[in-house]
Amino acid sequence: MDIFTASLWGITGLTFIASLVKDKQKTFNSMKMAKGMMKNMVGQIVGILLLIGLILTFIPPEVIKSTLGESNTFISTIVSALAGSITLIPAFVAFPLVGSLVDAGASIVPAVAFLTTLTMVGLVTFPLEKREFGLKFATIRNIFSFVFAILIALAMGVIM
Amino acid sequence: MKIIAILKKNKLLTAVSLAYVILFIAIPDKAYLSVKNSMYYIIEMLQIMPVIFILTSIIEAWVPKEVIMKGFGEKAGIKGSVFSFLLGSFSAGPIYAAFPICKMLLKKGASIANIVIILSAWAVIKVPMLANEAKFLGVQFMGARWILTVIAIIIIAYLMTIFVKKKDIPVQAEQDIGKVTGIDIKEHYCIGCGLCEKLLPQHFEVIDKKAKWKESILNDVQIDELKPVIAKCPVKAIGFK
Repeated sequence: MDIFTASLWGITGLTFIASLVKDKQKTFNSMKMAKGMMKNMVGQIVGILLLIGLILTFIPPEVIKSTLGESNTFISTIVSALAGSITLIPAFVAFPLVGSLVDAGASIVPAVAFLTTLTMVGLVTFPLEKREFGLKFATIRNIFSFVFAILIALAMGVIM
Repeated sequence: MKIIAILKKNKLLTAVSLAYVILFIAIPDKAYLSVKNSMYYIIEMLQIMPVIFILTSIIEAWVPKEVIMKGFGEKAGIKGSVFSFLLGSFSAGPIYAAFPICKMLLKKGASIANIVIILSAWAVIKVPMLANEAKFLGVQFMGARWILTVIAIIIIAYLMTIFVKKKDIPVQAEQDIGKVTGIDIKEHYCIGCGLCEKLLPQHFEVIDKKAKWKESILNDVQIDELKPVIAKCPVKAIGFK
């Protein structure tokens, strides 16, 4: 276990004990709620983790590098941003997948674009958003979020 | 029938498992290699999952969302925006889970800019997720993306106030309590937490992870009983009809 994970365990463990000491019932109640939410994700998590193995086995790193790598940033970023807009998987599940692609040689620019539109732009949830906030709000918010996702991605490419 | 429902619910897992079964029969070498390649990420995930689970629970239990929500309003200024970031960052669930809460805050007088901040922060900068991001993509990556995202959200919120005004947002008329005919549960928002069932089992029941209202004629006493439950629903999915 690396230092980062170990320290997270430490901090979380201490806070958890403090939470238990302060109010056991309250802590257990919210754990029950969190459990319900996690349960719905387990299938997707296991699915994605196993999918990573298939991708790494059957798609050679050279292919990942040439399609998602540095040479091809512009198109791959736009395509990744579009892919992120139409998929509805929790970001929680997306991090290991994106991490594995970056490890295999993908550029971080399309990776960031995908991660940001995945959560901020929602074509699947658009009808819901439109019903609650109106067509204008939903349309403009999603367009801005898409544009800024690409700007964030490009800026990340410069910084990192 | 039940098995089909489970398979349908886990489409991705079903498809991937099927691919593995075929692979193990056809080219076992590649199948072993795939499992081996996945193993690293499975172990990483197992290391971080309990942390995220506990963090989510602790945040759920102790972050005083009610207090944060009271800090909104047209004149809330900088404080309102900071509260919006906090509310979004410390909430659990996908972006659409934020819709009913934002709708309620709009009614209470929250500005368009703050609603945009809550929605965006809710989507991208949730605290337990940051831990997961740092795990798989590095602390530096997470930090840089976090800073850029916060800046972007502020700009988007400001731009939205130029283009969208409050009158563009549909409002439902306040329900006249005298004419309440029952309870309406917005199923797509319900997370099946069971809080309503626990508080008022005579009115609510969770079936297939969705709260259902047990049909009955409501009198004034029951309506008063129901009000706090409506307010307590964590995703604000319950209302009178």
